[in-house]
Amino acid sequence: MGMSNLLSVVVFLPLLGAVISALVPKGSPGAAKWVAALTSGLGLALTVWLAAAFDRTASGMQFVTDVVWVQQAGIHYHLGLDGISIAMLGLSSLLGLIAVIASWKITDRAPTYFAMLLLLQVGMNGVFVALDFVLFYVFWELVLVPMFFLIGMWGGARREYASIKFFIYTLAGSVFMLVGMIALYLQTGTFDMVELARLGAGGTLGLGFQNWVFLAFFLGFAVKVPVFPLHTWLPDAHVEAPTAASVLLAGILLKMGTYGFIRVSLPMLPDAARVWAPWIAVLAVISIVYGAAVAFAQTDLKKLVAYSSVSHMGFVMLGIFSLTAAGLNGAIAVMFSHGVVTGMLFLIVGMVYERTHTRQIADISGLSSAMPVMGGLLAFASFASLGLPGLSGFVGEFLSLIGSWQSTVIPHWMTVIAAVGVLLAAAYTLWMVLRVVLGTPSDVVRGLPDASPRELTALAPLIALTLVVGLSWSSLLSFVDPAVKALVAALGGAA
Amino acid sequence: MMWIALIPLLPALAFAAMLPMSRRIRTAARWLPLAAMSGSLALSVAAFLQVWPGGGEEPVWGVSTVLATLGGAPVAVSMRLDPVTAVMLLVVTIVGVCVQVYSLGYMHREERQGWYFAVLALFSAAMLLLVLAGDFLLLYMSWEVMGLCSYLLIGFWHEQDAPRRASIKAFLTTRVGDVGFAIGLAAMWSYAHSFDFAVVLHGTTWAVGAATLVSLGLLAGAMGKSAQVPLHVWLPDAMAGPTPASALIHAATMVAAGVYLVARALPLFHAAAPWVLVFVMFVGASTAVLGGILAMVQYDIKKVLAYSTISQLGYMFIALGAGGEVAALFHLTTHAFFKSLLFLGAGVIIHATHTQDIREMGGLRKVMPWTTGTFLFGALALSGVFPFSGFWSKDDILMTLWTQGTWYSLATLVVALLVAAMTAFYMTRVCVRVFGGPVCSLARESHLEMVAPMAVLAGITAVIGFSSPAFAAFLGEVKGWPDLTMAVVGSLAATAGIGLGVWVYAFAGVDTQALRLRFPRVAVVLDRGFYFDLTYNRGLVEAFVWLADRLSAFDARVVDGMVNAAGRGWSAVSSSSWTFDARVVDGAVNGLAALVRRAGERVRTLQAGRVQSYQRLGYAGLLAGLGLAVLAPYIGVLAAAGCALAGLVVIGAVIVRGA
Repeated sequence: MGMSNLLSVVVFLPLLGAVISALVPKGSPGAAKWVAALTSGLGLALTVWLAAAFDRTASGMQFVTDVVWVQQAGIHYHLGLDGISIAMLGLSSLLGLIAVIASWKITDRAPTYFAMLLLLQVGMNGVFVALDFVLFYVFWELVLVPMFFLIGMWGGARREYASIKFFIYTLAGSVFMLVGMIALYLQTGTFDMVELARLGAGGTLGLGFQNWVFLAFFLGFAVKVPVFPLHTWLPDAHVEAPTAASVLLAGILLKMGTYGFIRVSLPMLPDAARVWAPWIAVLAVISIVYGAAVAFAQTDLKKLVAYSSVSHMGFVMLGIFSLTAAGLNGAIAVMFSHGVVTGMLFLIVGMVYERTHTRQIADISGLSSAMPVMGGLLAFASFASLGLPGLSGFVGEFLSLIGSWQSTVIPHWMTVIAAVGVLLAAAYTLWMVLRVVLGTPSDVVRGLPDASPRELTALAPLIALTLVVGLSWSSLLSFVDPAVKALVAALGGAA
Repeated sequence: MMWIALIPLLPALAFAAMLPMSRRIRTAARWLPLAAMSGSLALSVAAFLQVWPGGGEEPVWGVSTVLATLGGAPVAVSMRLDPVTAVMLLVVTIVGVCVQVYSLGYMHREERQGWYFAVLALFSAAMLLLVLAGDFLLLYMSWEVMGLCSYLLIGFWHEQDAPRRASIKAFLTTRVGDVGFAIGLAAMWSYAHSFDFAVVLHGTTWAVGAATLVSLGLLAGAMGKSAQVPLHVWLPDAMAGPTPASALIHAATMVAAGVYLVARALPLFHAAAPWVLVFVMFVGASTAVLGGILAMVQYDIKKVLAYSTISQLGYMFIALGAGGEVAALFHLTTHAFFKSLLFLGAGVIIHATHTQDIREMGGLRKVMPWTTGTFLFGALALSGVFPFSGFWSKDDILMTLWTQGTWYSLATLVVALLVAAMTAFYMTRVCVRVFGGPVCSLARESHLEMVAPMAVLAGITAVIGFSSPAFAAFLGEVKGWPDLTMAVVGSLAATAGIGLGVWVYAFAGVDTQALRLRFPRVAVVLDRGFYFDLTYNRGLVEAFVWLADRLSAFDARVVDGMVNAAGRGWSAVSSSSWTFDARVVDGAVNGLAALVRRAGERVRTLQAGRVQSYQRLGYAGLLAGLGLAVLAPYIGVLAAAGCALAGLVVIGAVIVRGA
């Protein structure tokens, strides 16, 4: 019971921080960031505690809280964790803290800024632990509001366009999700996601019904992932967003979409998932190759990373819709690793931008000579991103490929094309490294200071996780696999 | 026997220790990798003694760990020590130590030498782990890390354009092969549910189709790493890196990893369709010929050696295609020693003469006797002259082809003899140009730390050939001394090559420049390396860049344009059919925009000193979130849907305005 309350504390602690942060008196402008850092730090510590107490042999929900919220509508305050949730919750807590550290120099409306950052954390944490559909939806939409303000108020030159496009595009997607939710409720009479998954596995829902609901959820989640061709909000949002928002956008918000597929589409609508899997796999493979090719052509560092996200998230989709244990493990490993590695990339790009005031690849060269640590870390993150074994990026992409090959719903030739995506990832990443990190320093980078201790503090946990997950796969996957095994069994697939 | 794990761990630790150091401290710690490698060498000798007298494939030691479970099925990686591994460990550590010692002299003026030594340590760790790997997954992982080190060392002088481009080219070209490797592994897991050598190679009943598919995947990886046609193009460019790195990575060890992989996986290749091994032989033969031809026409001494390496790796593939695992591994071993010796010699020569062009060298025998002597040992071995090591291992391969006795193996035998003659010819050409003739520079003999490793390698090159039967016995194959007829035939090929080389270059029997002028088309084809690079640049690289640009424009105009068009369409529908007042839509958009703008203005007033208004803004943001959280369920899903639909209306208008 104590641990279940702890889960609620982890989710809502940032809310408390947000309130305190917003109430910071005028005399102490720097206090807000300390409030944010302390609450996020405490939240991370508590999440680690949860992870330590988590039973890695069990497949069901743990630390469950289930109390009636709105009796008339059958809505519950229902939270709980399985291995997939805790991996995402851990990532969310960690990146939340890192986003605060990365924002240390924000002085413009700082209390509001940090309040927004903390409010965002509430939504992100909540999405990954909510087990009641209405609660899930509330957290899902809650994420939009602070992100909208973070981009719209602290963003770059075209922030208004980017923030509104982000807000409305993803909101439009979630309308369909809402429709699917209501349809499920009307059919089954419950918002309980665990119960819905049980009903789904029991085969009580007809295929025709499942198909329509599946498509509705697909639109809601696919915009968030984003899956080709629903991705064009992402580069705009990333380019205009402040660094911390980019980190959370790529690190967590995109994962909400794929998490939705894993938590909702697969277990609740398994028959439809099998029907649609080959088609979604086609979109996944297109995302992989198309994202990589478009990333190659970018001239702006942030856009390059944004399009690389489209490509990497394609591997997540491929893994999920392989409907195999290897693929799902791989998908979650990519989700985790992409959060860590892309977080690192956005942080470094932000640090370079703070110094040079440009993100144009053509303007920046010779980072490794001008700033050896920064250049070295950018190269490190790049190699993690392109899937070098021993670093985290390899684990998930490799397992996704295995799952995709094993899959009975995905033809082999699609796996082959996806594997070519690994080559393309190396191409656009190393081509960027060649121009930005190597060579003689260009004028804008000459004589600039190397990474500061604060910046290294923000990067250090990400570097460590990249290595830990890359070298010891089970550090992550031992949490995930029991839940995956249960899910695959419910899907009726082989291991 | 867990100490065996120290063999790769020591250099890995040296790398880890050097990584966070500052440039100056790293330079001071440059001996650290050498110390680590010496430790690994000592342990490798001990490991070899553990395996002695060998004679089978059974590992004498193994350790395994579960990386992860996939739906309960464990994915394990393991290390194992068996005769093949024991031999490879010795080869890698001996050459590694020699190259480390040599590098202390060769690199001592470099500002970033600490980084060089650190990467060399990481490379050694990866290569040692690769040969210790007891499964294909760990092998693949260390394989890729070696690729990283190769990339880093080729691009060591990254301020210059050529090394930078060569490094990316090497990584990407080998990764083309690795795509096949990865697919092969995915397929392997699907069919065998394991990556373990014992399970995959001996414990699984393979269907022919599956075995064919997996072995072709592995072969693709091997062709990339071992620079086989058509993936050989990266190796000559890789010579832009420091010469000792070329000696270790691009001559002795990493490039041979592909041969090692296929040798390991040979039972799988046997389970595959018969044409797979024939294909391996064909790849090897074409690579041997292509490398041999191009080595004959290079003027850059390192390029001669690079094409020679390609050619010799082709030789090893020929052996593998004939099922001659031991012959391939023996040639791998002898080649590792004599080719690294030749590269180290070339490094000394380049340092002394300040050029890589053999036309600008000459007469070095008079001023650099040690270098000349050791280099000649290497050249004789490469040319296959008795009693140097290359003679023995080449003879093994020829014999393997002869014993197989199929028409294609006999045809390949002829090709192999031709390549043997070419090899002798181009090495004679290099030796005559570099050591013969009048002294043409102020070259001096090099320092002891550079000459000593060469002397050691030369010594090994001179005697190791005699171990031929023992080597085979150690790996579990019964083999006697070379067959006299084949030895004579092989030696004749070598003699012919040397004789022709001496006639052409020492006695100026043929005017090569005149030949070039007489056959200009041939000269162009050879200068362009049979147009491989040109084809890839035009057909793949430039095409991809073009496509990427087009797709990027497509993304901005069409995909994003559709979003904007949808917005425009929605706006039109809402204003006409619903008689939706455009001003209302505009108002909604303006309202949203104004909200943001006003927020900005408030901050400006805040900076002027009005704090209350800005705090109110903070509360507003919070209340919006809280309100949504608390009210949403009460208002009910329909209200939320209404909100979202209103959002949809706004999207249209906004995007119209945004576009």
